[in-house]
Amino acid sequence: MLLKDIRDYQILFLGLFLVLGIGTRDWTLRPELIVVAIATCLVTQWIFSLVTSKEQILNLRSALITSLGLGLLLRADHWTTMAIAAAMAIASKFIFKFGDKHFFNPANFGIISALILTPDAWVSPGQWGEEWWYGLLFVGTGGMILQRIGRWDTTAAFLGTYSLLEAIRNLWLGWTWDVYWHRLMSGSLLLFALFMITDPRSIPNSRIGRIVWAMCIAGLTFILRNYFFVSTAVFWALFALAPLTILLDVLWLSPRFSWQEADKEAGEEVLLVQTRFIASLIKNAEV
Amino acid sequence: MKIFRLLTPLLLAIVAVLCFAPAAWAFCGFYVAKADTKLYNKASQVVLARQGDRTVMTMANDFQGEVKDFAIVIPVPTVLQKEQVRVTEAKIIERLDAFSAPRLVEYFDSDPCASAYSDNLPQSAQAPAAGRNQEAEKRSDRSLGVTVEARFNVGEYDILILSAKESGGLETWLKRNGYKIPRGAKQLLQPYIRSSMKFFVAKVNLDKFEESGYQFLRPLQISYKSPKFMLPIRLGMINATKEQDLIVYILSPQGQTEITNYRTVKIPSDANIPLFVKDEFSEFYKSMFQTAYTKENRKVGFLEYAWDMGSCDPCSADPLTPEELKEAGVFWLNDNSPNNMPVRPGFRGSFASSNVFISRLHVRYTRDKFPEDLMFQQTANSESFQGRYVLQHPFQGEVKCQAGREYKRSLPKRFEQEAQTLAKLTNWKIQDIRNKMNLTVGNLTYSWWETFLSWLGLN
Repeated sequence: MLLKDIRDYQILFLGLFLVLGIGTRDWTLRPELIVVAIATCLVTQWIFSLVTSKEQILNLRSALITSLGLGLLLRADHWTTMAIAAAMAIASKFIFKFGDKHFFNPANFGIISALILTPDAWVSPGQWGEEWWYGLLFVGTGGMILQRIGRWDTTAAFLGTYSLLEAIRNLWLGWTWDVYWHRLMSGSLLLFALFMITDPRSIPNSRIGRIVWAMCIAGLTFILRNYFFVSTAVFWALFALAPLTILLDVLWLSPRFSWQEADKEAGEEVLLVQTRFIASLIKNAEV
Repeated sequence: MKIFRLLTPLLLAIVAVLCFAPAAWAFCGFYVAKADTKLYNKASQVVLARQGDRTVMTMANDFQGEVKDFAIVIPVPTVLQKEQVRVTEAKIIERLDAFSAPRLVEYFDSDPCASAYSDNLPQSAQAPAAGRNQEAEKRSDRSLGVTVEARFNVGEYDILILSAKESGGLETWLKRNGYKIPRGAKQLLQPYIRSSMKFFVAKVNLDKFEESGYQFLRPLQISYKSPKFMLPIRLGMINATKEQDLIVYILSPQGQTEITNYRTVKIPSDANIPLFVKDEFSEFYKSMFQTAYTKENRKVGFLEYAWDMGSCDPCSADPLTPEELKEAGVFWLNDNSPNNMPVRPGFRGSFASSNVFISRLHVRYTRDKFPEDLMFQQTANSESFQGRYVLQHPFQGEVKCQAGREYKRSLPKRFEQEAQTLAKLTNWKIQDIRNKMNLTVGNLTYSWWETFLSWLGLN
């Protein structure tokens, strides 16, 4: 049974990052908070499953992934903050639904809830450092997961757009290029691009929709980071643009993602992509 | 609250600091330690007191040359008016330094034959602090795209606020006005100009300086409102050949402050080290810092102290009084209205706090490892941390009981452990350390047969 579901890989890798992070990084990460996150996520999932009784089997994997993501990204001074974040994260899956698809990324929703609702939550974007091997580890494992679930396009569109915008800005300001690389070489940015905006359950179903969506997030992240000086820009950008998923799904109808038939839909839409892309840009500009 | 912070002034740009010193460009032209506190070759000290998007920045001024040669150029986000600039006492930075410096603590073992274990109260010695300095020049104006926005006098300083359209123009203006601009400054001025900053230029008014009766130039303190929370270090590295030290004291209402674009790493702490270090603590700390710095690949900022300003344990200096905190730029002290104070929803209500939290960050930077200016963020992390090194004095008296003999027997192992710790922390040669320790703890060594017996598990 183990490692049959692609999410087992995600759990494995996120767990590995947590262990590596605690072991080799000077993180303000407290093991008891991770336990709180996991427990709260599982309990909330269980309660909501009971109430809605829509999910026949308890969706442990999903809840575990959310809690590991929270443990990796969110910092809190007190355990109640982590509990609030975890509960909000899981609750968002059941509350913010369109059809039977939840449109907020649960971990992201949890992080933003904690930032807004509690006084003692924060995210440490600088604590990953820029060691190459970390980056490689992330890219390698993330890429592996993504290839298997066919959502690498989101990551590519996000990273491509963001690094292009940063490059233009760097050029305009006249900084040397090592400033540019240093800005891009952020562990949390990569973690976000590989694990958070690729969650197939909460992102647009069609490839073109995902690309447009990821580009919008990259643009908003760029603006928030450089003009509003928000260190947690990526999370706010995803939060703000998550509802766009619904709109993009309506614009580009595509079969909803199911974990079991993950590999099927890779290159089917090639023909339609170009025309749709132009249309999407126009539509998006209107939005 | 945070959303409001995001939506507030888009146009309030960056705060950056640069200075033109003829010889060395440290962070703001501050360089070289004072005669008595010469721990680091080049160390700048800056105090940042920040709540919301309001910042009060104090820059230590240990300029040692001819007072008439002193000048400083600092990019600021808006045109500063006279009431946003003041001079403060150098003593306040010394107080912050003393309060937050890495410390050596001593404990004395009690008589192992006495029944209860009781730790004697620790005594603490404070690490020698860092030094600082600064310099530059300036004069009239011309139309090179450079506009004089404001001109006023504060204490012993004459101050100009400039705005520039183009880095070439600013460079020419500064040169024409007597500044010794290093090669390569033009390229580096451009990003700051394009971020639409004004330039704060100060030089010494000699008459006022003589009137004031002060022997040294006092620190300049500026306050501004900007969402950007950063310190520019890039300009200080133009012609720097060696690494430079920057010590930033960040005062915040809630918790620790960390660097967002470099890792913030805690300095090794709570280590038991040999007694002889007491006499060479500054050597020890310098070596240890250098070792940690190298180990982290020279690209992290170190946290040396993080504590609520209301207390300390052990104290290397008394906590600052409310007046001193205000002098250091803390503007929210009397601000007890619930709207402006971060209110904890009952989580830690009983936790007594002074509403001021200090983080002391020590950044040793070079051009190759620190390409980008330092960006900070305040967090709610109220965890306390201090660089603290422990000297554990063994019990010196006679021991007559079994426990006492066991205690004595355990000592060599403990000393060896301390030696190993010290060698690991400082990269000093273990044999040198052992030799030094033998000198100080020679009376505790054993004859060969005692060691042999204990090795056999007898005795």
